[in-house]
Amino acid sequence: MSRLELVNVCKSFGDQPAVSDFNLTVENGELVSFLGPSGCGKTTTLRITAGFEAPDSGAVIVDGIDVTDLTPNKRGMGMVFQGYALFPNMTAAENVEFGLAVRKRAPAERRARVAELLELFGLSHVAGSYPHHMSGGQQQRVALARAVAIEPGVLLLDEPLSAVDAKVREELRTEIRRMVTQLGITTILVTHDQSEALSISDRVVVMNRGAIEEVGTPGQIYAEPRSAFTAGFIGAMNEIPVRVVSGAQGVVERAGRRVTVQGAAGLADGEPALLLVRPELIEPLNAANGTLNGDLTLTGRVEVQTFLGATTRLLVREVRQGDENQSVLPSARRLAVDVPSAAAGNWPAGSEVAVRIPVGSSRVIADRSAVSPAPSTGSTTGPAAPPA
Amino acid sequence: MSGTSITGEATEETLPAVVAGAHAAGAARRSQNRKPRTPIWAVVVLAVSVVYFLLPLYATAVFGFSTGKAFTLQPLFDGLGDDGFHSALILSLTYSIVTTVLALVVVAPTAYLVELRFPRLRAIVEFLTILPFVIPPIILAVGLSSVYGINSPVNLISSDWAPVLLYGGYFVLTLPFVFRAIDNALRAVDVRTLSEAAESLGANPTRTFLQVIVPSISLGLVSGALLAFTTAMGEFTLAALLGYPTFPVYLLNVNEYSPHVGKALVLVSFLITWAGVIALAAVARRTPGTRVVRGGPM
Repeated sequence: MSRLELVNVCKSFGDQPAVSDFNLTVENGELVSFLGPSGCGKTTTLRITAGFEAPDSGAVIVDGIDVTDLTPNKRGMGMVFQGYALFPNMTAAENVEFGLAVRKRAPAERRARVAELLELFGLSHVAGSYPHHMSGGQQQRVALARAVAIEPGVLLLDEPLSAVDAKVREELRTEIRRMVTQLGITTILVTHDQSEALSISDRVVVMNRGAIEEVGTPGQIYAEPRSAFTAGFIGAMNEIPVRVVSGAQGVVERAGRRVTVQGAAGLADGEPALLLVRPELIEPLNAANGTLNGDLTLTGRVEVQTFLGATTRLLVREVRQGDENQSVLPSARRLAVDVPSAAAGNWPAGSEVAVRIPVGSSRVIADRSAVSPAPSTGSTTGPAAPPA
Repeated sequence: MSGTSITGEATEETLPAVVAGAHAAGAARRSQNRKPRTPIWAVVVLAVSVVYFLLPLYATAVFGFSTGKAFTLQPLFDGLGDDGFHSALILSLTYSIVTTVLALVVVAPTAYLVELRFPRLRAIVEFLTILPFVIPPIILAVGLSSVYGINSPVNLISSDWAPVLLYGGYFVLTLPFVFRAIDNALRAVDVRTLSEAAESLGANPTRTFLQVIVPSISLGLVSGALLAFTTAMGEFTLAALLGYPTFPVYLLNVNEYSPHVGKALVLVSFLITWAGVIALAAVARRTPGTRVVRGGPM
């Protein structure tokens, strides 16, 4: 287990910057994910760490030693590739043994270690099989065992589960987490799958266009995103335009109503801002529950229901009700409201609904409309709120 | 030889494939009246082609296995027993085997490096490997004997190094086949990722090449080797013009002064070629990309 530092790493391909000013420290035994859309630079950063790409500037430091100029075969890092890259002419056992043979370990020692690892990964019954006779899940386990066999200081996983079936993916990622914890290997996982990153990482690095957007624990990233990109990229997030009344006191105003929210401290008075709230936190009101308790409300019509399994997402178009409820939500915007599927029948498409937006669970960020990307879909969380 | 096309098909017999195959066979039997029959004209063309090809061989055999009066295998035994035959065959085998090894050893690492590290050189390398097709062997021979001949400052022809000319010439002639076979095999395998995987495990480039890449392209290497070998074994022009009594040269001479024996040996030479072609087809059958996999999910 090693401590990895990436210091001011920059890389461009031609005049296209792929990675800019990447700074990160990964502690012993930590599992850190690089998460972001295609082209955000996460794989390039991983390959620079491994040594397959040379950075234009910056350094890769392992346990205090600068390895930036070392070729990949001398860095002592294990790597698992997207397509597994198992050696087709070798059995599972021979694949796992490869790194040990390179290091000239004694045959008896190699065999023992290979057997131990195959056992750990549940592969003992396919030890003598060739890759093309194994399932995707088995091949991936062999790839992991092979990388781990050499006792690497750092383990690098390049989208290891993207080529695997959804069901197997869930099992495998839990196994990866268990294995990394058990063996205490410092690990970097590159993925575009949010649920993968959120479910097994100690920390998540959200990347966008070559730069780090945000770093935090999965909980922090999800509940307290600090940037509009992260908010839109992770899961689905509603963005409700409001206006800052007092940044210091955290008061914002919408449609004549004022509420107190978190996160307004850095915003200027009078500035337009976005109130961020997750769909599952918005509650539809029924007639008996009309109190507001300092929260915002919004009335509208359910345009469409989307069945997502355990929850159903209601897309609500705001309906203006007279002058006193002058809405600043552009008429094209819809609010995403998640309700338990069992109760979704209460709000069929076309019905009117009033919803409460709990400001205690909301955050406010500056409305830099040019920066806000089209919200992308998490792989299991369904469609996000449409852009402004 | 150069007109032979190699296609191969085989079935991958895994258990799901066997079950699915059985189902498919049953379905085929049931729908046999919907299965297209082989058209008559295709059968006719095939028959005509077979006759066209086999008739001269038959005629050769009839003439070869006789003394002008009766059928006898004596000309064959005379030919096989002739010292000239032995030395010609050994000379050809020597040149062919050395050429084959040389071609593999030079081309395989080159193709690998081009694929992995120098993709921009690919166009040049491909052009160079196509050149021998463009230049007829006789031009090559004339060129070699001028440049390295008696009147040249670099007079190899009269020296002990003369065989180098033939090795060099054969290497050039077999280059297109060997490069194509190896390059195809390399491209069918994700060479870059496999090499990176080996590197990440600590292997240096040599070990990566020998222990990972070469076994992955073994079928391509064998194809290339067979093509090189049969080309060199059958090459006449270069050997004749440079004055080497290889097997094809010997064959021509024997046919002039001992026609019966000559024809018998011609058939022997056909057998060698056929053996090479059959071996090639067998290898091609086992090569991924020419294999048809029937059956369910793996």
